[in-house]
Amino acid sequence: MISLIQNEVIKLLLKKKMILILLLLLIFISLFSYGEKYTYDKNLERLENLSGDMNYDWKNLATQRLSDLEKRLNSSYIPDEGIASIEIEIEQLNYFIENDINPITPSAAKFSVEFVEQGILMFIPLLIVILAADLVSGEFSSKTIKVLLTRAVPRWKILLSKFIALIMITTILISIIGVLSSIVSFLFFQRWGFNEPVATGFSLIQGSLNSDYVVLVTRFQYMLLIYSLVWYVSIVLSSITLLISVLVNNSASAIGILMAALISGQFLQFFLSDWTLVKYFFVTNLNLTHYLTGSYQIIEGMSLEFSIVVLSLWAFLSLFVSFQVFNRKDVLV
Amino acid sequence: MDANVLKVSNITKTIKNKEIIKGISFVINLGEILGFLGPNGAGKSTTLRMIVGLSKPSSGYIDICGYNITNDYVKAMSNVGCIIEEPNLYNYMSGYKNLEMLGSMSKGVTKKDIDEAVELVGMEKRINDKVGIYSMGMKQRVGLAQALIHKPKLLVLDEPTSGLDPQGIHDFREIVKELAKEKNISVLISSHLISEVQMMCDKVSIINNGEIIQNGSVDEMISTGEVFWVLDDSKKGQKLLKESFNIASIIDKEKLIAIIDVKELTTINKKMIQSGMDLKYVGTKKKTLEDLFLKLTEKQKIL
Repeated sequence: MISLIQNEVIKLLLKKKMILILLLLLIFISLFSYGEKYTYDKNLERLENLSGDMNYDWKNLATQRLSDLEKRLNSSYIPDEGIASIEIEIEQLNYFIENDINPITPSAAKFSVEFVEQGILMFIPLLIVILAADLVSGEFSSKTIKVLLTRAVPRWKILLSKFIALIMITTILISIIGVLSSIVSFLFFQRWGFNEPVATGFSLIQGSLNSDYVVLVTRFQYMLLIYSLVWYVSIVLSSITLLISVLVNNSASAIGILMAALISGQFLQFFLSDWTLVKYFFVTNLNLTHYLTGSYQIIEGMSLEFSIVVLSLWAFLSLFVSFQVFNRKDVLV
Repeated sequence: MDANVLKVSNITKTIKNKEIIKGISFVINLGEILGFLGPNGAGKSTTLRMIVGLSKPSSGYIDICGYNITNDYVKAMSNVGCIIEEPNLYNYMSGYKNLEMLGSMSKGVTKKDIDEAVELVGMEKRINDKVGIYSMGMKQRVGLAQALIHKPKLLVLDEPTSGLDPQGIHDFREIVKELAKEKNISVLISSHLISEVQMMCDKVSIINNGEIIQNGSVDEMISTGEVFWVLDDSKKGQKLLKESFNIASIIDKEKLIAIIDVKELTTINKKMIQSGMDLKYVGTKKKTLEDLFLKLTEKQKIL
């Protein structure tokens, strides 16, 4: 079994797709970090002009905000639910003032989180599709499936080794995205920012933002959290890609079908959000990270738990059907 | 262990409600080369694919070295090596890497086994080049090596020489014949090239429209029992055949032609010489396999 997995990893690596993927990543990361650096510089310029001072003093503003918050905390009118979130903001501001960091300064850690938060809907799925769409279908189009399936190895083992190899490469890919986006954006921003405090744990309850569960974590911890969610989404996407790859006998159709599913999924979310069935479509549930930042929900009744369950079901079903079909398939190429 | 290396019992295959294979049975014994002859679309490839596990028969059994291919897949398949149509290898790897990878899928294949197979097919010099730049002939050789690295008892070759030049066909044929003779490997070879089957195989099965229409050894199939003599006096010979053996014969120019049981030929010849005839030449007329094949399949159009 180990040698089978090894073979599949070698096949995935030798096909030079990893080079294409790394190149795409490098281009996108560089473009986005440059863009962010550019907007930041522009913003700073604007703020300096606004205050009329050459040295726009963010520290002054932050201190003002801090004393403001402290005053509110002491007032007896504040409801109990509000206290937690105010305390957290105070803690955050204190950190920035003590360490002499402007809260809006971009950092490598911040960028690498933002990058996957944005990429989780299209860019990362695209990379997974490039990586995995021809995992099985490619063997059919190059007809090498004939030498692969005439060895003394049962078919399920072959498919399992392919899936395990895919999970391994996907995991490596996600780590590479993290490392690469941190390093490249560091070159632009000159700041790592792994220790900055981040507030997380917002949840939407009946339409209003609930901050009862908000905790303060470091940027690095937050990054790990976001990346593990992204990793989970990628594994689910890998399973779905594997299914399509088993069902379709050529790589081009496999890529086409998957891209169509991803794009139409985005459309469905926006135009058919009243239709409750849409929330069971895997594409609608890909954006796991937005539950952590407490941004708005597109469809009523979706939560982190809901999405994780839906995605797990999709992954499980895809794998089940893949193995069934692959085991019975007649190889007629 | 079963003496039959391959035993196919009454297999059928239905694809999309069309019965492609209508009950085929045959056996191959140790060291035997069986030729599977049939026109395009006769079901040769489909049958071979079922034997190597690429597709499953709708009914019937296939046993390889006594192991049922459905119930004992791994044991059955570890005795089979095959090339189905052109050898499809991973183009982006070297020939050696291909062999190493496919070898690792069978139990107990060592580096020595791979080297031996490479040497056998004569690919030592180019084995480390990428398969993508190989010629068809070289791919075929590596394809054969791939089928041999795990030392199978049965070699299944589906139209192995299509796409090869005459030299390639010759080399390929020699290698396969040698394998059967020296290593006692049984070979099942499908082809629509009659000459190829005639040159390589001990036994032939002619298949058409999903059925075996004739089975037998090549010699049996092509002998017609027709014998001719060249005598100084054909008339006298004709009379002798009629009187002594009750065999009708005709005279065609200088030849005396008769249909006899070939076993009796020696007796007849002796008698002729004893009767004082001058026996200049005696020969048997063989049908070509081609005649037979065309005769058997002539009425079959693609249904």
